Amino acid sequence: MTPAAANAPSQARSPGLASVARQRSVGFWAEAWRRFSCRPLAMSALVLVTFLFAVAVFAPAIAGTKPVVCRYKGRLYAPCLAYFDRRLEPAIFTHDRFRGAYPRNLQEKDPASWAVWPLLFQDPYRAVRENEWPGQPANPTRGEGSPNRWNLFGTDQYGVDVLAKMIHGTTTALLVGLVSMGIAGSIGIIVGALGGYFGGWVDMLASRVTEVVMCIPTLVLILALMAIVEKPTIWKTMAILGITGWTGIARLTRAEFLRLRNSEFVLAARATGAGPLRIMIRHILPNALAPVLVPISFGIASAILTESSLSFLGFGTPPPSASWGAVLNDARSNLHSWWLVVFPGMAIFLTVLAYNLVGEGLQAATDPRLREARK
Amino acid sequence: MESQTRQRMVFLVVSACLAAVLPGGCSRRPEGLPAGVTLESLDAKPAKPVPKGPDVSFVPPTFDALERDAKWVDRPVKDGLVMLRAEQAGETPPVTVAEALALRNNSADANASILATLGRLPAAGEADPGARLERHLRGDVNSTNPIMINSTNEFDVLGLTGFELFSFDRRMEPFATAETVASWQSSSDGLLDKVVLRDDLLWSDGRPITAHDVVFTYTVIMDNRVPVPAVRSGTDQLRGVHAYDDQTLVFFHKESLATNVWNINFPVLPRHVYESTWEADPTLKDSDAHVALEEHPVVGGPYEIAQRKRGEQIVLRRRDSWSTVDGKQVREQPFFREVRFRIIEDTNTAFLALQAGDIDELILTPEQWQGTGDEFYERSTKATAPEWVNFFFAWNVETPFFADRRVRRAMTYAFDHERMLKDLCHGLYQPSTGQFHEAAWMASKKKVAPSKQDLDKAEQLLDEAGWIDTDNDGIRDREIDGRLVPLEFTMLVAQQSIRVATCNLLRENLEQIGVRMNVQPLETTVLLDRTQERKFQAYHGGWGTGTDPDSTENIWKSGEARNHVGYSNPDVDQLYEEGRREFDRAKRAEKYGRIQEILWEDQPYTWLYWRNGFYGFSKELRGYVFSPRGPYHYSPGYRSLWRPRQE
Repeated sequence: MTPAAANAPSQARSPGLASVARQRSVGFWAEAWRRFSCRPLAMSALVLVTFLFAVAVFAPAIAGTKPVVCRYKGRLYAPCLAYFDRRLEPAIFTHDRFRGAYPRNLQEKDPASWAVWPLLFQDPYRAVRENEWPGQPANPTRGEGSPNRWNLFGTDQYGVDVLAKMIHGTTTALLVGLVSMGIAGSIGIIVGALGGYFGGWVDMLASRVTEVVMCIPTLVLILALMAIVEKPTIWKTMAILGITGWTGIARLTRAEFLRLRNSEFVLAARATGAGPLRIMIRHILPNALAPVLVPISFGIASAILTESSLSFLGFGTPPPSASWGAVLNDARSNLHSWWLVVFPGMAIFLTVLAYNLVGEGLQAATDPRLREARK
Repeated sequence: MESQTRQRMVFLVVSACLAAVLPGGCSRRPEGLPAGVTLESLDAKPAKPVPKGPDVSFVPPTFDALERDAKWVDRPVKDGLVMLRAEQAGETPPVTVAEALALRNNSADANASILATLGRLPAAGEADPGARLERHLRGDVNSTNPIMINSTNEFDVLGLTGFELFSFDRRMEPFATAETVASWQSSSDGLLDKVVLRDDLLWSDGRPITAHDVVFTYTVIMDNRVPVPAVRSGTDQLRGVHAYDDQTLVFFHKESLATNVWNINFPVLPRHVYESTWEADPTLKDSDAHVALEEHPVVGGPYEIAQRKRGEQIVLRRRDSWSTVDGKQVREQPFFREVRFRIIEDTNTAFLALQAGDIDELILTPEQWQGTGDEFYERSTKATAPEWVNFFFAWNVETPFFADRRVRRAMTYAFDHERMLKDLCHGLYQPSTGQFHEAAWMASKKKVAPSKQDLDKAEQLLDEAGWIDTDNDGIRDREIDGRLVPLEFTMLVAQQSIRVATCNLLRENLEQIGVRMNVQPLETTVLLDRTQERKFQAYHGGWGTGTDPDSTENIWKSGEARNHVGYSNPDVDQLYEEGRREFDRAKRAEKYGRIQEILWEDQPYTWLYWRNGFYGFSKELRGYVFSPRGPYHYSPGYRSLWRPRQE
């Protein structure tokens, strides 16, 4: 809702005040959104990103072999949460020897039970066996699993459904992008803000640290880390991506803080006795945030690409976890299985493109210089 | 002590390839290569000097005393090629060459026809003497000095350039090679081996090869200052080596053992080249002289190095002075004028190179074997045969999880062996029922049914072992030292699709019975380190086969180097001791068979499958004959390959 629309009722009630309200300019973010929404490509990309978010969050309800919700022996359970964390699988099903086969066992062991099943009865980590779901055949293996009625994107050489892998891989991809850029954003903004605001030796130090970190080859560092740590996890990969990926953000933040630290509103805030922390957080940061969002958006795309590359090389997410890059890696040794190349390749391409388009859209919508240039 | 152990382990792992790869079959104590671990990874680990050296107190008897006291027994001196030719003489190929080349290898009959027809040696004049063989090499060699061999790559290359005295055939029977040895005798007490070298052997610089070269090399290998990565072990079991003249050589053993025959073969260096340089630079690689030798080594084998482009290719050229001495042909000329090793690390790239005709041979993965289509058959064909490469899950019995035999057995019962064989291995591999292949002479004669999944039995065994879910979190646990320990462990595995998938299947199976397993794929160097240092709870890997069952001693005997799982059983230890002292093969077989049975009961490994050999060959290549160690790693091995004359 725009500010003008919000003011509509008051306009009706009090024509005198309406002219005042009409004169209020729209806020920066509203203006940015207006400009952003005028860009069809950026908007399509945003729709795709939103869709991917939805897929990532609801992945276990979209594809899986565990009920989304079920009632068993008088109690409600959500076994599908085990796809997010194995520890969330209710113990009762292990004790009752379900052995992963929910549809049959729920009926056999508690005829009064009921369950809400995922849209697609396929598992991202294993092949579905014959009649595990009534009437559904076993997944084809050994490269014979081209796309078919039961496996829309085909299966890999071991019979695991590619679509299920990709749906659950969305969670990995988005998580990698968001968490790593969350870390990178936090570090980058803090380092850039300190350097830009205080200047002098603080700036010198921050700039040198930034330059040093820029020299670290992320991919090599991750490969080395995977070799050293006892238990490599996707979280450690994300941490490395975040810890090494903040330099661009820090440089932009520093530039914005340098530009803004002597502006009138900062001087005014300083005159009222506001401390440096308050000035930085409350006054400068909100004004500097827009340009900083751009590299974060590109960074998410880059992180997704790095994770896919790592998985493609076989050093990504440790099993059991689905990753688009890992599906691509399977394709290397099964060149005739085109579906192992096309679907994850397209997913990576479109997602990275979407984030880049969103980033570009943000840049165009928030950078006044670009706006001037377009006129 | 630890460094000794490491040193021995490195050798034993590596010596498998030494024994296996050299075309004439240079056979030391041949060991299995851990298939989960490549030998290339060993390159990163320079061997530590160990407190060993020649026995200075050893004084060889005079030749007269030796001849007076020893009762000599003749041992076989053979030529691998001649034996193979004689073997094939009575066989008739089931189809013509053209028919064999047109066959699609998709059945046992087709495979047998391809092997029987294309595996034949050439008739007189049939082979092209000017042909070039394009071989695939998975990685570059670290050194061209034969006593520095440390990886399969070096064995592959130096096997063609190296000089050797002994070998073994595809039934793993050892013999002295007739190409280099005039006679071989052992003393009746088993403490001496006397070898008389031929007098028509020349180094590539034209100097004669003599028994003194062998003694000199023994001295260098046993010197602590020389960083010999692999070949010292086994050699160190000798009391000494002495040359009585230019041709007569006697090996003195410390003990009379059935395994002595494997200890008397080691690579040979030219004494006249290294005599003046090795003490000044015991690294054998730093001084200017050794750097030059590294590029252009003086060799004693059938080929010499013509060109070496690091990371790209190594070209070997046939050595005329090998086959012709003083204008007279003294040995059969190798079939290829030139052998070029193309270094291609990525298996998929190598497969494309085979299809494009850039290389003549390649070991195929099961996926590649299955994925061969028209494009592949245009220039290539393929063949398979059983190979004794055994894959398993290894359980570290020193951890609280696997100390109890019942837990290990539960793991075996939990695993879906059938699904692994059918879906993961494409139905191409046979189930393994223990340490030795059922076709091997040392295997137990008791028929054991392959393991089958039985989750109820697995749960019962875990219950009996005290692993019950007491805290109701879905994972079995047990109180150990006052602390509740969940049954959650990590399985290490090499970064290869089929192996990771096998571990994932076990993870899925175990989850169904309340056991949590994490799969950790590792780079092979890291995996090797972790298993050697016993920093693991479980790992998935494999062993190739040695030529003698005693080669498995250091996998199962208490405290031995390759006993990564920490298994200890006094009965097994005793049987190994008895086995190496027993010369009667049938009695030896009983002892090793008993070991196999005990191990099967104890299940320190869950044995999974025997990995067969799958090879792609150019349609222009002939003469591939398989042994339990593949088509190359025995005598004649590579030497039987040939290319027909172009019409």
